[in-house]
Amino acid sequence: MSDAEIRRADATTRVARLRRTVQQTSPGEVVLYAVLVVMAGFYLVPIESGLVTSIKTNTAIIGTAPYAPPGANGVTLEKWGTAIDALLRGMGNSLLYAVPATVISAVLGSVTAYGLTMPTWKRAYKAPLIALIVAGIFIPYQAVLVPLTQFWSQWVGIAQHLSFVWALGVPDDYAGIVELVITHVAYGLPICTLLFRTYYKTMSTEMIESARLDGASLRRVYRRIVLPLSGPMFAVVLIYQFTQIWNDLLFTLVLVSTESSPAAPVVLILAGLGSSLEGQDFALRMAGAFFAALPTLAVYIFFGEEFAEGVSA
Amino acid sequence: MDMSHKSDDGKLPSRRTFIRASGVAALAGIAGCSGGGGGGGGDDGGDSGGDTTTGGDSGGGASGDTVEVLHGWTGGDGAAAADALVEAFDENVDGATLDFNPIGGGGNQNLDAVVANRLQSNDPPGSFANWPGPNLLRYEGVLGSVDDVWEENDFEEVMIQEAIDLHQQNGSYRAVPLGSHRLNCLFYNVSVVEDAGIDVDSLNSPSAFIDALQTVQNETDAIPMTHGMSGTWTTTQLWGAVMLGVNGYQPYMDFLAGEGSEDAVRAAFEATAEMLENYISEDASSIGLTQSNQNIINGDAAFIHQGNWAAGAFRNAEDFDYDEDWGFKTFPGTEGMYTLHFDSFLYPSDNPTPEATKTWLSFVGSPEAQVAFNQFKGSIPTRTDVSLDEFGPYLQETAEDFAEAEFRPPNLQHGLGVPSEVMTQLNEVISSEFTGPYNVDAATQGFLDAVSN
Amino acid sequence: MFDLYRRLSGALGRSSGNDNASGNEARTDGGVVSDRSVPEPGSESDPGPLARVGAAVDRRLGSDFLESSLFWLPPFLLIALFVYGAIIWNLLISLTDYRGFANAPDYGNLDFEMYTRALADPGFIDAAVNTLILLVAFTGATLAVGLLLAILIDRGIRFENAFRTIYLLPMSLSFVVTAQFWLWMYNFNNGIVNLLLGTVGIGPISFLGDQTIVLWAVIFALMWQFSGYAMVVYLAGLRAIPTEHYEAAQVDGASTLKMYWRVIIPQLKGATISAAVVLMVFGMKAFDFLYSLVGGYRPPNGADILATKMVREAYANLNWAYGAAIAIVLFGMALAVIGPYLVYEYRRNNL
Repeated sequence: MSDAEIRRADATTRVARLRRTVQQTSPGEVVLYAVLVVMAGFYLVPIESGLVTSIKTNTAIIGTAPYAPPGANGVTLEKWGTAIDALLRGMGNSLLYAVPATVISAVLGSVTAYGLTMPTWKRAYKAPLIALIVAGIFIPYQAVLVPLTQFWSQWVGIAQHLSFVWALGVPDDYAGIVELVITHVAYGLPICTLLFRTYYKTMSTEMIESARLDGASLRRVYRRIVLPLSGPMFAVVLIYQFTQIWNDLLFTLVLVSTESSPAAPVVLILAGLGSSLEGQDFALRMAGAFFAALPTLAVYIFFGEEFAEGVSA
Repeated sequence: MDMSHKSDDGKLPSRRTFIRASGVAALAGIAGCSGGGGGGGGDDGGDSGGDTTTGGDSGGGASGDTVEVLHGWTGGDGAAAADALVEAFDENVDGATLDFNPIGGGGNQNLDAVVANRLQSNDPPGSFANWPGPNLLRYEGVLGSVDDVWEENDFEEVMIQEAIDLHQQNGSYRAVPLGSHRLNCLFYNVSVVEDAGIDVDSLNSPSAFIDALQTVQNETDAIPMTHGMSGTWTTTQLWGAVMLGVNGYQPYMDFLAGEGSEDAVRAAFEATAEMLENYISEDASSIGLTQSNQNIINGDAAFIHQGNWAAGAFRNAEDFDYDEDWGFKTFPGTEGMYTLHFDSFLYPSDNPTPEATKTWLSFVGSPEAQVAFNQFKGSIPTRTDVSLDEFGPYLQETAEDFAEAEFRPPNLQHGLGVPSEVMTQLNEVISSEFTGPYNVDAATQGFLDAVSN
Repeated sequence: MFDLYRRLSGALGRSSGNDNASGNEARTDGGVVSDRSVPEPGSESDPGPLARVGAAVDRRLGSDFLESSLFWLPPFLLIALFVYGAIIWNLLISLTDYRGFANAPDYGNLDFEMYTRALADPGFIDAAVNTLILLVAFTGATLAVGLLLAILIDRGIRFENAFRTIYLLPMSLSFVVTAQFWLWMYNFNNGIVNLLLGTVGIGPISFLGDQTIVLWAVIFALMWQFSGYAMVVYLAGLRAIPTEHYEAAQVDGASTLKMYWRVIIPQLKGATISAAVVLMVFGMKAFDFLYSLVGGYRPPNGADILATKMVREAYANLNWAYGAAIAIVLFGMALAVIGPYLVYEYRRNNL
């Protein structure tokens, strides 16, 4: 990795130097930065506008420009309060399936990728398997929805198997959460496997080869050599999977189906917020959108940096 | 496939059935509505007192006493009425607790979808809000009989005749009505209309109405007719009112029966197109009912056609009074008619709480429920024996109009006129041919095809 | 996070990653040769097993196969069940006439009625056309913007990290969230888009209400969300191009624009393919966005796509078999994109 990093940095600076020698003039540079800033504005404006709108009073929404901050007396946190009231339980529900599903799919992805990469068996057999797994990343989920509904509601009946849980006073809607965990693991596995496989392919095989020659079992090789080296990729996979699962609406809509369910995830409640409760209350919608996005935004802003350091080290 | 969990007979008991069977034996003893939870108001519903019924809405052991009811009243008008209904239930019924779940989304679409999916996956709610009449067709086979509820509470004696007729399917009652809206309404903002110099009472035909819209456009800055088109149902509903107004009762009924005259349908589409092409707001296609109502309340628009749930929204608005700030006119051309609508609660046959659900349905038909709910919803009771003192002048007039109406045609868009499949088709036609540009020919043909199939 | 998506793109198409950039000569097709210096452990060229006699090799391959199956087989079966089992099941359901509250389809009487019904349904045709428009326009626009951003960022700018972070930010958000933002952006009276257009004397336009415009408005919003991803993929691709190519072009005296057009962009074929495949898949998943725009199953008029129609038919109208048939059509479209991509990847030894 570090080799490639260096090359990349090298290439970057050389391109930069080249460019500077070719055109010493700064007008070009001014234009370049102007374009970059305008584009940054393009990406930020919808988000910024949402943020300022979320703290505006209803009169300030009409009275001020949508991107402008509210005046001193146009500020209210009321909508945030309403949004948090409406979405908080959804946050909990989302965590309840997003975290286990993320962890399980990452672990299984690592194991699967290991089994398909390190051990020595023919590529001719591996390739079709891997092709099937890769294709699994790309299927439109609509193609599995009706059977999925059939499977969970008519065949498996999670709710029945967990009756002891409901007896404790947990609403049986939470069967939907269990279904979501398994469903997200199953459909998240392909991408997790592929990510790990890409990583394992670049791993040095020498250590593994010698360990194998010493008679170490595959399991031992995985536990002692591969797993400890998988840390950086686990970070990638966990972050990616968590974002994907947290953000997904379709499965929650099909498996939990209504925002009024006690087990409703945050995206499901958000999708109905605003339009159902208060007409088109945009301040409320925006506050809700930000609140629901907080976990993924936090992951993006904080863990992204840490992760970048981890990889380049 | 993982067959190991599948029981031998190939069909699993439903979630709720299983829970009932496996857990909580207490349920067996519930006498539910034996006391007629609604009728007398204060009667205790049986002797189920052993279990706690006052806890949270989902406390494990007591879940059998909690009837889960799904409804779609989440908007400005509906939410207040729903709250009043829940309050009345808590005050008047002791035999069960109510878990009153709103499912948001325009025109009941999301409610219907949630109900449908739960019915399909053997997980029906205790009861759910929906429309009776031909709309019951789509639930054929999954609704149970509530003949006993009707009998015990003497509903046949006190309900209006249409309610009695429309709540039956295959010879049994399947639902209980809560209230009745009126569909052939035209509401207006008094000051805007006065500024334009329009005598509303003189508008007795759609063409006179269109002239008035033109006058508003000429004389004021207001939107002549506010129309929220973010869904298609408002336009289908408007077309229904225009159809009645242009052609009268019998051609409308013929159309519903699948024998509509092409000329009549076309004339209705032409008049509707003239309104929508010229007199609605520029942002009509992206606003919904709530904002549309708001346009009237804010004085930004002169007229709105809606069912009288709009009156519920007006009533709940501050400083906005009937006759002073807003007014009502029977939709031009439909004078002497009352286009009928029912809000009812249906009874799924294998619902998890049969007794508690019947307690709930008894309550729905009771004077307490109908008074509490309808005055805020902008609808009138379906009982003929309740006092309308608390209803305010507008709804009192509506009730009079109902009593005196020469015809009470069923509505087109809200379940009483056509089965839901036809309604879906009609809305597809509106969606593809009549949301601007307005293709009268194609829409006419599409509508005729939809009802004749 | 940037590295996350770079990794992601690297995994989906190694040609776009930098892992294998090793100063290889550019091939005529513009791709970078991706021969690995480390031989595939299981390939026949592995010196370990080759040194042994044939029987031993076979035995060794076989035993590893069995032993390793403990690792990959159970997860693979899970995928097989949920992905391929479900698709086959779905195909089966689409041949029935399953609808309504029935618990299970009647598999006794299979025919293609649902497919003929689809062809006769103008709503289906509209949705299919809209899907194609969305896929092509969204993918094209997103790639173009992403390429432009990548080239700009690759010019050795300062604050590169900050710019990259900002450009990629929307991708970390849920469709449900971005739909709320764009609902507000496109608002008729107070939306920023109409405000901007107003300053140049256009509009206001009812972006989400006008059925001739709404699809393009949706495409634009999706482009906003995913062009950062295209940028990341292209950036990785650009940095895999050996510096000599830039230098050679400069020596030739080509202008900057010409250099990119003639020398650099042709080498980004691999990056383009892998980004395009991923974007098309995102495009097909636009269901979440459209659902959230209206908070219901029916998207704004003119923006109905197969993904939304399928869910609406199945879950709102309970036409399960019809929904399943639409899903199969959608799956076919996805296959038309994925199939060639997989073949391409296989030929490049990436599987």
